[in-house]
Formats: sequence, structure tokens, C-alpha cells
Amino acid sequence: MVRRVIDEAKRIFGLKSPGRNLAVFPDDTFLVSFPKSGNTWARFLIANLVRPHEKIDFSNVNRVIPGIEVTCNRDLLRTARPRIIKSHQYFDPRYPRVIYMVRDPRDVVVSQYHFQRKRKLLDDHYPLPEFVRRFIAGQTCFYASWGEHVASWLSTRHGHPGFLLLRYEDMVADTASALSKIASFLGREPDPKVIAQSVERSSVDRMRELEKSQAQLFTSTRDTRQDIPFVRAAKAGGWRSTLPEACAIEIEEAWEPVIRWLGYELVFVDKASPVEGLFPISATGGPIR
Amino acid sequence: MIYGVKRVITYLLGTDIAGRSLAVYPDDTFIVSYPRSGNTWTRFLVANLMHPEQLVTFANIERMIPDCEAQSSRYMKRVPRPRLIKSHEYFDPRYRKVLYIVRDPRDVALSYYDFARKYRQIDDSYSLTSYVSDFVGGRLSSADWGTWGENVASWVYTRNGQPGFLLLRYEDMLSDTERELAKVAGFLAAESDARRLTEAAERSSADRMRSLEATQGDQWVATKNKRSDIPFVRTAAAGLWKTKLPADSILEIESAWGPLMKNLGYGLANNGSASSPDGSGITDGRVQLVREHI
Repeated sequence: MVRRVIDEAKRIFGLKSPGRNLAVFPDDTFLVSFPKSGNTWARFLIANLVRPHEKIDFSNVNRVIPGIEVTCNRDLLRTARPRIIKSHQYFDPRYPRVIYMVRDPRDVVVSQYHFQRKRKLLDDHYPLPEFVRRFIAGQTCFYASWGEHVASWLSTRHGHPGFLLLRYEDMVADTASALSKIASFLGREPDPKVIAQSVERSSVDRMRELEKSQAQLFTSTRDTRQDIPFVRAAKAGGWRSTLPEACAIEIEEAWEPVIRWLGYELVFVDKASPVEGLFPISATGGPIR
Repeated sequence: MIYGVKRVITYLLGTDIAGRSLAVYPDDTFIVSYPRSGNTWTRFLVANLMHPEQLVTFANIERMIPDCEAQSSRYMKRVPRPRLIKSHEYFDPRYRKVLYIVRDPRDVALSYYDFARKYRQIDDSYSLTSYVSDFVGGRLSSADWGTWGENVASWVYTRNGQPGFLLLRYEDMLSDTERELAKVAGFLAAESDARRLTEAAERSSADRMRSLEATQGDQWVATKNKRSDIPFVRTAAAGLWKTKLPADSILEIESAWGPLMKNLGYGLANNGSASSPDGSGITDGRVQLVREHI
């Protein structure tokens, strides 16, 4: 009861992060992804894009692109509109415009495993296969399972003008072109010079450097183990060398149609059925080739 | 700020409406649908099936299968477990066991129009075509539950094919109530001999519910203080949109959700795809849906 009173008092004064209770404005744009899918990198890219005269680092990125799970409500209400807001939530019908980032779940699970070790939620001996089973069941975080997260957004919004789907892997392969798409989605003229500068200022090397000196200034790295980095491999397909085959098979079997719909290759599970009708979307929103 | 204080007091007293902040237990079962899709009828069917010893009425339905969008957090907490709960929420990953009812959106729109007038959300002069545009565009007061398409898709494409999910079409329930109720009984692991199914169906018939509403309308949370000249239990029929819904409105609904409707087996009147031979608008008796394990 006492804790509830304190929690509620904090909430009245806007000192808590609102999560799903965020007051959404009609001109908000959300940067949404399941955790460990490149969201922080995308925030750096976008923040550098919209604030070309201010170098973005871990100390100010939350101010330019606040997150509903990390920024307190008062700061969210004070953010200049139109706001760009980071979120890890599964489908929310109130989000008017959404940039949705998706990443191969076999890489996501490895990344989340290391991140939870970093945050001391798992100890180093925690078996990865056990983590993968919980990951598939949606028990490793509060944002539904990876498959539910992706399906909840794609089945409701893909193909709509207010929805931009990006694959982390495509962003790694051609960052500038992905950022140009984001710029157009945000209604900005994609100036090649600003794009190149944003990509440069958000490079993995620079982010690694910044993390070393600023870990205590960033919500996701504060008070975590410093021997495990937050900015990790920043590559696609790392799971092929680190994820045990049995785990990869479990993931492929759990979400086979969605994985293929997103254009990710199944390595162990053999399926050829068409994925065209998987999500009930408009003609403009077919599967990714 | 004053609003905030008021909210905190109701929250601390537990008198806030549970809704999406409902505390969910792992043994909860939910009866979920978009509004006006046969949820109340299903609640009557299920309650009559589970409690053959007493007649289910509008006066006691909230005790048997409470509505988490009408009851307070405190009330919901006191319901004996395992709970059966009615909800209109779009996908919520905390709901582990879900019975989802879907209905042809063209009929949902018609029904919603009458309901909105009953609730005095619009007056009688507001046109049906404008209302359908609001319905499709997500501008209803129920927009927090998503649009029809968002609500349905968010559940069906995350959960269909999994053991904790049963998808029923309102139209199938109308055409063979006992067969569909037997599926529900299996899902809930309830007794389901033929006599019990028949009895539950009879006790939940549209006629009986209509006469209950006539006498108990002012005792039920969903009909209390609403216009009594428009009934809550309406036609209880499928396919009324064919005669009652303007062509423009039909087109508007089908353009928004055509692929989803087809996926659920609702034939489209536009785009050249002919409706079904039996005229019910349903092309196949069973729901042809996405594969398992999404």
C-alpha cells in the first residue's frame, strides 16, 4: 500500500515513465521494435538526422528521441512537437505513425541473452538453450514474444501509409539508403550530406567509443556490468556461429512463416508453402523478397 | 493535476475500471471480441453451460462472467478463480486462454450504429454512411480497442492455431449453435452432453434474451440509463447488411479490410468476387486461416 502511494505520487508529478499509458498526440511518430533489434542505433541515426548541428551521444539521445519505457512522463510532455518517440510495445492502435524495425529472431535471441547478462538478470552459467525456450514462449521480456510482436504490427498496419517497415539487416547493408527512407517518411528532404554525416556519427565504432565514456549517462547501460558491451557485434547473421543448431531449429519451427515472410532464410527447417496470404494486408504490402 | 489526484484516489480504492490495466492471472480465460459481435450471447451460452443449476439473466451475468471494461479493479480481484472474463481488448500478450468471436464487419457496423444511438453517442439524425466512415476510420469512442480490422487481426495473426486460442464466427454460431458450443465446451474442458448443450442454447435464445432485457434492462451495467426504445439484443441475424447497408458503405468497409474478410471466409460484394451460393456472405463453413505457430 505504501509503495502504491509512493508510485502513484510519482505518477501524478510525472516522474514515472508512462509505458503503454503514454498520452499520444496525433502528430507523434513512433520508432518501434522488439528489444535488441537495432532501436538505439536507429535513434542515433534519426537524432543526428533531425539535429545536424548537435552531435548525438548517449547523454543527449534520450532528449531528442525520448522512450516511453525510459523517459519520465513530464519530460515526454515537454518534448517539442512533433515528437519522435522510441517504443518497444507490441501493437497499440493509438500510434498514428510507426517506423517498425525488425531483426532476424535468431540474432535477437543471442543479443538479448548477452544484454540480460549485462543487466545481471542472468548469471554467466545460465544455459542459452533454456533462454531460447523462454524467448519463444515470450517470457524474456514484457513485450510479448518476438513472433507475436511482429505479427501484431504487420497484420494491422503493414501496407498503410503511416507505417514504414525496415529490416535491421538492410540498414546494416546500406545505412544511407535506409536513412533516406526514414527521412522521407518523416517528411524531410533527404539531403545526402546530412545523411552521410548522420551515418558517420552513428557508426558502430563511434558508438562503441561513446559507450566507454558514457555508460553511466544512458538508461540502458547505467549500473550494468561493464565487461559486457551494450553496442555489441552490430552485424547480421552472427547467430550462425554462436547459436546451437537445436536452438536455431526451435526458433525456425516456432515462427517459420513469419521468418520467411520477412525474407530471412530458413537454414534447418524445410518449408516451401507460399506466404502471400500470411498477413491480411493491402496490395501495396506484400512479403519481403 | 486535479484529474491526476482523482485518478490516484480511485486507483487506491480500487474503484477504477479494470479495462486494460486488469491484473491478469495465468488461469484466466477470456471471451474476447470486437463490440457488437455476439459477445453477450456467448457469455449467456457459456454461463448457462457452466451453471445449469441456475438460469442466467442480465441480473447475474456480471457475477458469472464479469466484464473487465465495466467492472472495477477491486471487483475483478474478488471474482473467484479460475475466472471467466469478458473483454473487447485488442491483442494483449498476458491473456493466455482466449475464446475469440468474429463477426462480419458489415453487420457489426449496422449493429454498432443502433448501439451508438441507444447510448446517445450520436443522435438519430446522424447518418449511417457517416457513422460507417467513422467506424472504418477509427473515430468511434471505442477507438481504444482499435478498429474492427486491427482488433481482429491483432488476435488472429498472433494466436490462431495455438492451443490457448479458439476462433469462432458469430455466423457459424447462429447456424449451428450446439455444434459451436460443443467446441467451446471442449476448449473450456466443460461437460458437454447433448442435453446440456441444447438446454444452454435454449436458455440463451434471442427470444429469451429479448424478454429478459425487457424486464431487466435497468439492472444491467451495459443497458442501465440508456435509451430503452432501442434494444440491446437486436436482430441476432447474419447478412442484414445486404438489405440495410448503403452500397457506398459496403464498398468502404470492403476496401479497408477486404483481404482480412476473405481470410475469415466473408465473401466480398465488390471487386468481382461473388458472394457465396447460400447468400449468407460466407464462402466456406469453416474458417480458412493462416497456418499454425505464428
